[in-house]
Amino acid sequence: MRFEQLNPFTVAVYYLCVLGIIMFSMNPLLIGIALLTSVLSAVIGGTADKKAHLFSLAVFLIAALLNPIFVHKGATPLFFFNDNPITLEATVYGLCAAGMLTAALYRLRDLSRVMTSDRVLYLFGRFSPQIALLLSMAIRYTALLRVRWRRICDSQRALGLFDDGNLIDAVRGRARVLSILITWTLENGIVTAESMESRGYGTGRRTSFAVYRVHKYDVIVMLICFLLTALSAVGVYYSKAVFYPALTMDLLNPWGITAAAGFTVLSVLPLIINGKEAIRWRLLLSKT
Amino acid sequence: MALVTVKNLSFTYPNTEHKALSGIDLAIERGAFITLMGATGSGKSTLLRLLKPELQQNGVLEGVLTYAVKTDEGDRDVALNEEKIHPRVVGYVAQDPEEQIVTDKVWHELAFTLENLGVRQRDIARRVAEIASYFGIDRWMERDTATLSGGEKQLLNLAAVMIADPELLLLDEPTAQLDPIAATRFIETVYRLNRETGVTVLLCEHRCEELFPISDRIVILDGGRVALDDTPRRIAQSIGRDSEYAAFLPTAARLYHSVTRSAQANDTIPQSPSGDSLLAGSGSPSVASRRLPNGEHLYQREPIIPLSVREGQRFVGNLHRKEKTTSERSDGNATEEALSLKRIRFRYERRGADILRDLDLTVYRGEVFALLGANGAGKSTAAAVAAGLRKPYSGTIKLFGRPLKDYKNGALYKGNLSLLPQDAESVFLCETVREELKGCDGVLQKLPFDLTPLFDRHPYDISGGERQLVALCKALSTAPRLLMMDEPSKGLDANRKALLLDVIRRLKHDGVTVLLITHDVEFAALCADRCALFAQGRIAAVDRTDRFMTDNRFYTTAASRITRRYVDGAYTVALAAERFSSDGGAV
Repeated sequence: MRFEQLNPFTVAVYYLCVLGIIMFSMNPLLIGIALLTSVLSAVIGGTADKKAHLFSLAVFLIAALLNPIFVHKGATPLFFFNDNPITLEATVYGLCAAGMLTAALYRLRDLSRVMTSDRVLYLFGRFSPQIALLLSMAIRYTALLRVRWRRICDSQRALGLFDDGNLIDAVRGRARVLSILITWTLENGIVTAESMESRGYGTGRRTSFAVYRVHKYDVIVMLICFLLTALSAVGVYYSKAVFYPALTMDLLNPWGITAAAGFTVLSVLPLIINGKEAIRWRLLLSKT
Repeated sequence: MALVTVKNLSFTYPNTEHKALSGIDLAIERGAFITLMGATGSGKSTLLRLLKPELQQNGVLEGVLTYAVKTDEGDRDVALNEEKIHPRVVGYVAQDPEEQIVTDKVWHELAFTLENLGVRQRDIARRVAEIASYFGIDRWMERDTATLSGGEKQLLNLAAVMIADPELLLLDEPTAQLDPIAATRFIETVYRLNRETGVTVLLCEHRCEELFPISDRIVILDGGRVALDDTPRRIAQSIGRDSEYAAFLPTAARLYHSVTRSAQANDTIPQSPSGDSLLAGSGSPSVASRRLPNGEHLYQREPIIPLSVREGQRFVGNLHRKEKTTSERSDGNATEEALSLKRIRFRYERRGADILRDLDLTVYRGEVFALLGANGAGKSTAAAVAAGLRKPYSGTIKLFGRPLKDYKNGALYKGNLSLLPQDAESVFLCETVREELKGCDGVLQKLPFDLTPLFDRHPYDISGGERQLVALCKALSTAPRLLMMDEPSKGLDANRKALLLDVIRRLKHDGVTVLLITHDVEFAALCADRCALFAQGRIAAVDRTDRFMTDNRFYTTAASRITRRYVDGAYTVALAAERFSSDGGAV
């Protein structure tokens, strides 16, 4: 099973763990690993195009520059800029913060791609069938309203009822479109309500149906997730990374190495799962 | 025993004197396929809604309405309001495909019905899978409901109702918003359900062409009363050519009446030389007139009147053919271009596929031009591009000889071009029709119908057909020289269609150029000067209407399909009736 096909719950847990470590560790070693593996995942998974990579690079550079420019703490000045010291400590901290931000951005992009609306729905639907239905209807309505907005704009314009000549007319036109949209939707909402009622809505206790199951595999992946996260967290706790006033790093003690190893495995877990799947396919194909 | 029995039923809406239904008697047998017909406002929808307990409206109900409910001791009649009828028992599909959908995913929409009824997860999974494969929607189970086409949406609505396994299926003009191909597919699915699962069907619809051959019974409502209730063939026989109900008949039956109107309709059953009855072997056992050895008809209670295209062909094949009497239509001398599109290419998204691929289209001044084609072929997009609402990425558009972009500051939509959209709802702004039509007095006086009775009502409270007419008034209020109409005949009953035809003829008379974007071939045949078939983002064929209809084999009118093997150019009932005569017997 590919990573994206796991139960949404498992996927959510995985991303919570990874993002948690990335955002709360502030450990240069782990952030380096996070940055490398996030980019690697994005490249292998094909989730980010050239534009997205360039955007991330820009975010990284800006974030990395901002800290040393504005923060002048630290014991080791590198050079003076407008009579202000640019310190080594602030620079390293800036690089770490930028790395953290960029890695988190990459992961969030992955998450939004994997977590489609119906998966989010499934997650919340676990708590209550009512919420599940409400969300589902809300998602459907946003799609519907977008289409309608366009149609109303078109028909108003083509009937010569729409002036784009100046700002006031344009605003007035939009307001009118909004008013039609609301009337139309409310009036036709009756049909939806009737459709619900005639299909037995509100007659008794609702059940909630989902196409996702929790498999043994999900449980295993989740346990691995928790284990690796715990290892990383404990490791981070016992390995020192102090930035100010002077850098004191003790990252390569046994705990630090444990944290790094654990987090590396955690970061590439989707790649391992998908790679295993790819190899299995190869083997299957070569047998036949 | 009948599944539903209606006896002397009357219904009055609150605050009105007028009875919406009065003295209705109707027995709906188990497993029957009944089609309900009638003009707009005849009470069809009111009757259907009365039969679905959850949808009953406020009002005064008189008479008897009972359901046969299955119990351990057999069926038992339960009167409405006496005992709660389980929502599962009666399924209801309404007209609007879009609004009936509740959730965002196809699979969830199917499951929704069962979730409401409290069915367990495991059973839902099984029944969703079952119904999806029966309806052939398993391939789009994961899709967003918003991305489905109208036909797919309506099929999903039907599936979502059928998943509860109802005994009675009520359908209120389910195909009014669909194109002919999707509509036929929908009706075939309903028919298949009726045959294969035995679900009782009560359908109200204007689409007689497909429904007459397959219905067990046709019920015609008029002014809240049952005017006729019989088998399709007897109904078709009894409705004469000049009857007000003639518009409900399929083409073959109307042609039959037109040809045999001078003779005694009941007796003129043209015999082929072999002595077989005309319709023998037409596939419908109730029609085949079996003969005894002595030559007498054994079974003649069902009249012999053609209902389908195939039966129509058999009928006209045995008639006398006449030479063309009407003169050949001239090609017209209009050469001045009203609208011209040259090598237009358009796509919605940068990376998407081209919707219009080198589209060339010329509409001449003063003509009625019909752009025909299936839904989703890009007709509406072509109209939006031609009307300047979307910018093509290559090609040129000229309106009355000037490039579209030369019309500045909205001059384009003031006196030059107007586009009547598909959804009339997207036009209305005001609280009443009167305010809506402010400044349209000039237009109102010219129209062949009177909208003043509607003036004090809210645009959403009037019927779909009336809304269409009000929107038309608004479109005409800018006095456009070119009027584009996107699916103007959608959901209109026969009378309203006739009104619309009249409007189009008057516009043509006044020199207005009309571009119709439609999938209604029968409608285009009646009013267009030229027709074009739109496919794959360009025009596949464009011709004068008579040649277009005659040369097309599939995409043409029913009359043309009935007659084209025998005579040329008979693409409407009126034209066909001129070319055949029943006297003189077989050819």
